[in-house]
Amino acid sequence: MAKYIIKRLGSAVISLFIITACIFLLLRLMPIEGYLGAGYEKMSPEVVQNQLRSLGLLDPVWVQLKNFYVNLFHGNLGISWIYRPNVPITDILAAKIPISISMGAAAMALALVVGLPLGVVMSRFKGGLPDKLGTSFIVLLNAVPVVVFYLIIQLYGSKIFGVPMLFSKTDWRTWILPTVCLSIGSIANYAMWMRRYMVDELNSDYVRLAMAKGVSRRNIMYHHVFRNAFVPMIQLLPASLLMTIMGSIYVESLFSVPGMGGLLVDVIKRQDNTMVQALVLIFATMGILGLLLGDLLMALADPRIKLTRGEDGR
Amino acid sequence: MENNMILSVHNLDVKFSLRGRTLHAIRGVSLDIYQGESLAIVGESGSGKSVFVKSFMGLLDQNGYIDSGSILYNNKNLAKFKTEREWLTIRGREIAMVMQDPMTSLNPLKPIGKQIEEAILLHQGIKGAAAHAAAIDILADVGIDNPEHRFKQYPHEFSGGMRQRVVIAIAVACKPKVLICDEPTTALDVTIQAQILDLIKKLQKKYNLTTIYITHDLGVVANVADRIAVMYAGDLVEVGSCEEVFYDPRHPYTWALLSSLPQLGVKGEPLYSIHGTPPNLFHEVKGDAFAARNPQALKIDFEIRPPYFQVSPTHKARTWLLDPRAPKVEPPEHIRVLREQGGKYRAQ
Repeated sequence: MAKYIIKRLGSAVISLFIITACIFLLLRLMPIEGYLGAGYEKMSPEVVQNQLRSLGLLDPVWVQLKNFYVNLFHGNLGISWIYRPNVPITDILAAKIPISISMGAAAMALALVVGLPLGVVMSRFKGGLPDKLGTSFIVLLNAVPVVVFYLIIQLYGSKIFGVPMLFSKTDWRTWILPTVCLSIGSIANYAMWMRRYMVDELNSDYVRLAMAKGVSRRNIMYHHVFRNAFVPMIQLLPASLLMTIMGSIYVESLFSVPGMGGLLVDVIKRQDNTMVQALVLIFATMGILGLLLGDLLMALADPRIKLTRGEDGR
Repeated sequence: MENNMILSVHNLDVKFSLRGRTLHAIRGVSLDIYQGESLAIVGESGSGKSVFVKSFMGLLDQNGYIDSGSILYNNKNLAKFKTEREWLTIRGREIAMVMQDPMTSLNPLKPIGKQIEEAILLHQGIKGAAAHAAAIDILADVGIDNPEHRFKQYPHEFSGGMRQRVVIAIAVACKPKVLICDEPTTALDVTIQAQILDLIKKLQKKYNLTTIYITHDLGVVANVADRIAVMYAGDLVEVGSCEEVFYDPRHPYTWALLSSLPQLGVKGEPLYSIHGTPPNLFHEVKGDAFAARNPQALKIDFEIRPPYFQVSPTHKARTWLLDPRAPKVEPPEHIRVLREQGGKYRAQ
C-alpha cells in the first residue's frame, strides 16, 4: 500500500509539472498587457521595455519557466501584478483558501448526508412514490443547466428564508445558500447512483441467502447491501470533488464569497497572469489528490481490490 | 423410515402475476415430508421445483403468491403467513437453504466467519466469544482446514467447492430442522460434487436434519435420496422410494426422464431425448400435462387430469395407465432393462 501511494504521488507530481508548464506557456502567448497593469496605453516603448525586463519577461522562455519552478520549490508563488500589486500571492491566498475549503467540505458533506439516504430510500420503495419524486428531482437537475438553479436558489432562497443575498463572513446564515448551491449537483448524482447500485445489489444471490438464513430485510439493507452498494459510489467522490470545485468558481462569484473560486474568474478577467498560474496549480493539485483519495478509499472498502498488480487483483 | 411427518403440503397452488397475466407455477401439489428422511425433487428446468420449496420459506419473488392450499409445519400453516415477522420464525431457525451458486451466494465484503457468526447470533442464542468459537467449530465441521485463519478471509479467497462448504456451514449454523439443498452441486466441478454430497449426508446424520434436494441430476438423486418426487409442469407426477422410482417407474414422464440418462444409452444409437416442450403454464393445463409429449398417450390423457394411483404404500403415480380399465402399455426398452436390474438388486 505504502509503495503504491508513493508511486501515485510521484506520478501526481509529474502531472502537476506538465499542467503548470502548459498553463505557464499558454499565458506567455497572451498579449503582454497583463504584465503592465493599468494605464499601459500611455507608456512609452522604453518604459514598457524596462518594466518587462524588471519582471524577467525578456529572458528566454525556458529560463522564465526554470525560475518559476525554482521559486515554486521554495514555496514562493510570485507576486500579484494587478489584483493587488506587489503583494505575494501566498499572502493573498492564505486568507481565501480556508473559506473555500470549509465551504467545499460543507457542500460535499451535505451532498453525502442528503444524497445517499435519498438513494437508499428510493431503492427501498422502488416504483413507489418516494422513488418517483426522487427520480423527477434527479432528471430535473440533470436536464437543466445547474446555473439556473443557482440563480433560483439565490433569488427565492434569500426571499423565503429572509437571508441576505450576498455572503458575509461573520453571518453564518449567509453560508447556507452558497453551500446548498454547491451541493445540489452532487446530491442528484449520489442519489441516482446509490439507488441504482442498491437495486442491483438487492437482486444478488447473497441477499437471497441472507434472507434464507433469517436476516430481516431491514438488516439486509444496512448490514449487507449498503456497503456493497457504497463501494462503487466511492468512485464518484473525486468526480464530485471536481464538480464542487468547478461549481465554486461560479457560485463564489455569484454570492461574492471571498474564496478562491471567485478569485479565479476575477484574475482571469483582469489578466493577472501570475495569480492565474498559482490558482490553476492549486485546483489541479486538489483534483489529482481527490482522484488518489478515491482509489485508496476503494481499496480500503473492498478487500478484492488490490492496488498493486497481483495475480488475483481486479 | 420414521413416520413422523415434519412438513405436510396439501393442495398447494402457487401463482405468479406477470404483466397482467397469471402463471400457474405449482398446480395443486400435495406432499408429506418425514422427519429425518432425504427427499429428492427432480424435474427439468422450469418444472417448478425451486418455486415449490421457496414457498416453504416465503422466498417467492415479489410477484409470486400462494393462491390456495396449506403447508403445515409444527401445527402452523405457512401458507397463511403474510408478514416478514412471521417468516423470520421459520427462515433459518426451522428451515434453512443451500443455494445453487456458491460463487455469488456469499457477501463479497464480509469475512466468511462473520457471515456464519451472523446465523449463530440470530438463531443459537449465544454471543461474543462463544459465537465466535461456535463459528470456528462449524467451519471445521464442514471440512475447512485451519478454521481460525480462514474465519477472517473473504469469499474471493476460497475456491468454488470451499465456498459451497461455507454456504452449507451457514445453513447448518442456523440449527434448522429441515435443510433444503437447491441444486447444491450444479455449479461445481464433478470431482467436488461427490465430496459436497458426502458432507451434506454426514451433517444430516450429525445434526439429525431432514433434507430436501432439488436437482435435475439423477446421479445425485441415486446417491443421496431415500425418496423421490418427480415434478413436471408444476405437479408431482410420481412419488416413491428411491428403488421404486428407479427400478419400477410408472409414469410416462418418469420413463422418459430415466430413458434420457446418457448412462442407459446403447453405443452406436442416438441418445434418447424427450420431444416437444413443457406446456405453457400461462394457460390452464387440461388432462395430463405430459400427454402432448407422450407418444403413447391415451385419449383420456388429453381430457381429464388423472388422479393418483397407489402402486405400493409408499409409491404413487398420477397416470391413467394405472387405472384398471387402461389398455396395457409397455414401457420403453430402457425401462424394461432397469426393471430387470431392479429385480436382481432386490434378489441380492
